Amino acid sequence: MPLLSAENITVQFGGLRANSDVNVHCEPGQITGLIGPNGAGKTTLFNVITGLQPPTRGRVVLDGVDITNKTPTKRARMGIARTFQKLEAFSNLSARDNVLVAAESRKSWDRSGFNPGRVATEMLERVGISSVANFMVGTLPTGTARLVELARALATNPRILLLDEPSSGLNEEETESMASLLRELIRDGLGVLLVEHDMAFVMSTCHFIHVLDFGQLIATGSAAEVQSNKAVQAAYLGAAAEEGAA
Amino acid sequence: MRLLKARPSTLLMAAAVLVGVGYVYTMNRGLGPYNQANMTTFLVVGISLGGIYAISALGLVVTYSTTGIFNFAHGSIGAFLAFAYWELRVHRHWPAPFALIAVIFVLAPLLGVALDKLLMRRLRNAPLVVQLMVTVGLMLSFMGITLTIWKPGKVGGRALPHFFESSKGVAIGDITATWHRIITVAVALLIALVLRTVLYRTRTGIAMRAVVDNRNLAGLNGVRPDVVSGASWALGCMTAGIAGILIAPETGMVVENLTLLVVIAFAAAAIAQLKSLPWAFAGGMIIGLTRAFTGQFLKFGTNFSYAPDAIPAIILFVAVIFLPQARLETGSIRLTKRTERLTSPKEAIGAAAFMVGLVVVWANGWIPWFGGTHFGRRGPVWLGNGAGFLCLALVMLSLVPLIGWAGQVSFANFAIAGFGAAMYTHFGGQDGRPIGILWVILVCAPLGVVVALPALRLKGLYLALATMAFAELADKILFRHPKIISNTKSGSFYKPLVIFGIKMSSDEHDRRAFVIFLAIAFGLLFVLLELLRNTRWARRWIAMSDSPAASATIGVNLLWAKVAVFALSGAIAGFAGAMYGLQQSALRVDSFPLFLGLPLVLLLAVQGVRFPVAAFMGAIGLASFPALQQIFKNHGLLNDLFGSGWLTSVALIGPGIAAITMAFRPDGAVFYAGRDLAALLPWRRDAREEKALFVARQREQDIGRDEIGELGLVRPFTDDNVAQLDRRLRIADELAGHAPVSNNRVHEEVLRAPVVS
Repeated sequence: MPLLSAENITVQFGGLRANSDVNVHCEPGQITGLIGPNGAGKTTLFNVITGLQPPTRGRVVLDGVDITNKTPTKRARMGIARTFQKLEAFSNLSARDNVLVAAESRKSWDRSGFNPGRVATEMLERVGISSVANFMVGTLPTGTARLVELARALATNPRILLLDEPSSGLNEEETESMASLLRELIRDGLGVLLVEHDMAFVMSTCHFIHVLDFGQLIATGSAAEVQSNKAVQAAYLGAAAEEGAA
Repeated sequence: MRLLKARPSTLLMAAAVLVGVGYVYTMNRGLGPYNQANMTTFLVVGISLGGIYAISALGLVVTYSTTGIFNFAHGSIGAFLAFAYWELRVHRHWPAPFALIAVIFVLAPLLGVALDKLLMRRLRNAPLVVQLMVTVGLMLSFMGITLTIWKPGKVGGRALPHFFESSKGVAIGDITATWHRIITVAVALLIALVLRTVLYRTRTGIAMRAVVDNRNLAGLNGVRPDVVSGASWALGCMTAGIAGILIAPETGMVVENLTLLVVIAFAAAAIAQLKSLPWAFAGGMIIGLTRAFTGQFLKFGTNFSYAPDAIPAIILFVAVIFLPQARLETGSIRLTKRTERLTSPKEAIGAAAFMVGLVVVWANGWIPWFGGTHFGRRGPVWLGNGAGFLCLALVMLSLVPLIGWAGQVSFANFAIAGFGAAMYTHFGGQDGRPIGILWVILVCAPLGVVVALPALRLKGLYLALATMAFAELADKILFRHPKIISNTKSGSFYKPLVIFGIKMSSDEHDRRAFVIFLAIAFGLLFVLLELLRNTRWARRWIAMSDSPAASATIGVNLLWAKVAVFALSGAIAGFAGAMYGLQQSALRVDSFPLFLGLPLVLLLAVQGVRFPVAAFMGAIGLASFPALQQIFKNHGLLNDLFGSGWLTSVALIGPGIAAITMAFRPDGAVFYAGRDLAALLPWRRDAREEKALFVARQREQDIGRDEIGELGLVRPFTDDNVAQLDRRLRIADELAGHAPVSNNRVHEEVLRAPVVS
């Protein structure tokens, strides 16, 4: 049984179908990729999974439990954490306080007697931004602020982590350390679902990949399978051709 | 069907409102007969009133939906224009058509364009708090300006004629509909049709709507966002002026009444969910008809004599209750590029001790040279004033966690304070028992939550609207009920409060002790808040304010976080109110009007709404108005300029203009002063570096804005523009960590200027 599955998700915005009967699943201890050209509906699907966007049809199942009608808060408490494509860091708080808020929030459902302050310190260290702990997030470069979001998500001790373009804003070196961090995280059984445009990053880290195009799932499989898929090539080349024209 | 699907709590709220309204209605003294004459009058009056309300609401909705800024000054701009029209038409005897053209088609659009160019453009990307403060500041400023130019004289001294007053009108049955009324309805319909056509059928209108959806994308597609927002502000001012001119003959030329037209427009706009023009029109009609119905068929007992005035506020509440739950939106976060050092407990106690010390030294007259001058002289009058300002400082302090941290803009706290004051006359205040204060706090904390309840699940703007409506409702219904505040001329009385055998009251002999007691209470609450700032509660509130969506996804229960902050704020406000009542010695029914509460919020915001110390500074700001009066009591210039009642105008214009400056420096005086003063201290190198960084960033932004201006394909780009753009693109590159910059990312970084929603 997958840790997380989004089943037959359809999201309709007026005349636009952002997701059309999409099925995505994610296993514990694995990194699952979700790729596709711009506007394919990846972020919409993330919003559906985390409860920010109610689906028109379909259901979201976490570890056998249907969570489709649960609020984002409840889902977070059940173990879903995420980062955002466009920054949603708390810009009036320091980097450390950003993470601390999450750790303190976890206190309301996790009774394991952890110390939120220690968790915050630990998570900042883990993503490698201890040096900017006391800076207001608003003053940090975008890439660093993304890492704050990651640390914040991790502080809730999630079972599944949704990352929306984690390598965006990072340089090559930082992207590499992000990849090794993710590999380390899944060792304890955490499931990771990530949206990413950096193909090298996706192909080298993801165990399993879903490809979306125009709201529809066009391929699933391992990196090699997806790369050799004709539909995927068409989607990407087509998109590239259009971009060139524009 | 949607009604049935509404959540149980929504229905419960609606039922509660209905019961309340029903109770008030059953309190009326007999119904007027439902004969044909009455019905016709009701319809004629209702539809024409509704027409005026619709005009006002349409303007409000158009400006909001095309610029993303909700104009609280809509009513007072209308008042200003109505007075301008009076000046030309009545005072200078211009013929009506010329006066109308001059005011509606020349002055109003010029005003709108000027407002847009000077202020509103800066507010586009500003946080909601700043947007609200600036437009509310504008509202008070226009009230003050109008009062200054057209000094209120004797009652009925100034009147605007109805249109075609001499001709009889059209007979409908036994009733004659005056031409003024017929014109009103025709103009309302015309404006609705014109706006609808302009927005949906013309190029400019489509551009206006496109700009709301995505201002930068629209810019790249050849729309000039600046032109569009100028046009919509011009339209907004024109409708405000028309509504003002049409309604002035009904309400009389009273600035406050004309300004309060905006509350009615709010209600109609809320029915329209701030976006639908047809519904804004319908909303105006609903309110007009309801008022006419009440006037025609219901006669209220003295207990509820002001109830009809509260109808718009009630309708606004109901509309807000039925609004669909706001979705947690992402992508609208605004990064504030500033740093802030938290106050340590030691510093907080030091600051509190300093403030209390200041008051104690002053109250005891230990500064001899202060006694000699007029300013703040420690006589009995000023001891009384001082107590008053400290009470208002407490009200402002109650807003710091609410607005400053949790980002919940509420205009209701002064009304809650009023409720606290009224309660205290019944529990404890009448015999000076301190335990009464505890009761007041225990009741006002949940009251703070109840006031916000309809808006808790909605986005911030609705909260501001609903709380302003509550303040109006409290003033018109609650405080006017003789069971709550005695409606005799002298009002409800207090006995001196006795703590540890020390008497405190407005009595001349008790004043010194009272001032010192209030200072200590302020100091304690100040330290409490500064300590709270460093706890998980305040962190959670700030997180919620910065990004509700992200807060939810880390498991924060937004509802409870909001309830907690409203309760805290309500408790402090209730205490402040009880003390304010005691300071006033007697509570009258008109002690807590909306227009006395608004300057409190503004002055606090100007000082820096995130900092508890701003409440103290804000009170000093308030104190400066009567101090000015004392100094310039016999000064000819001020009297000539503002008239003998100039304090009223200045007390409105002062906070108003101060709030408008927030468009330029949004973080508040305390923040800038703190930063600049800290930089002067030799051991604060961090502060100096900080400041240099901040100034550099500010310059970067300012240069960028002035030199590049709006993006857009139709404008000619000079070489300088291009150079600037190149420079900014490299900034984007740097922000992105020197990664190869895709087109996409450049757009994101450089063009990202989220539209307010």
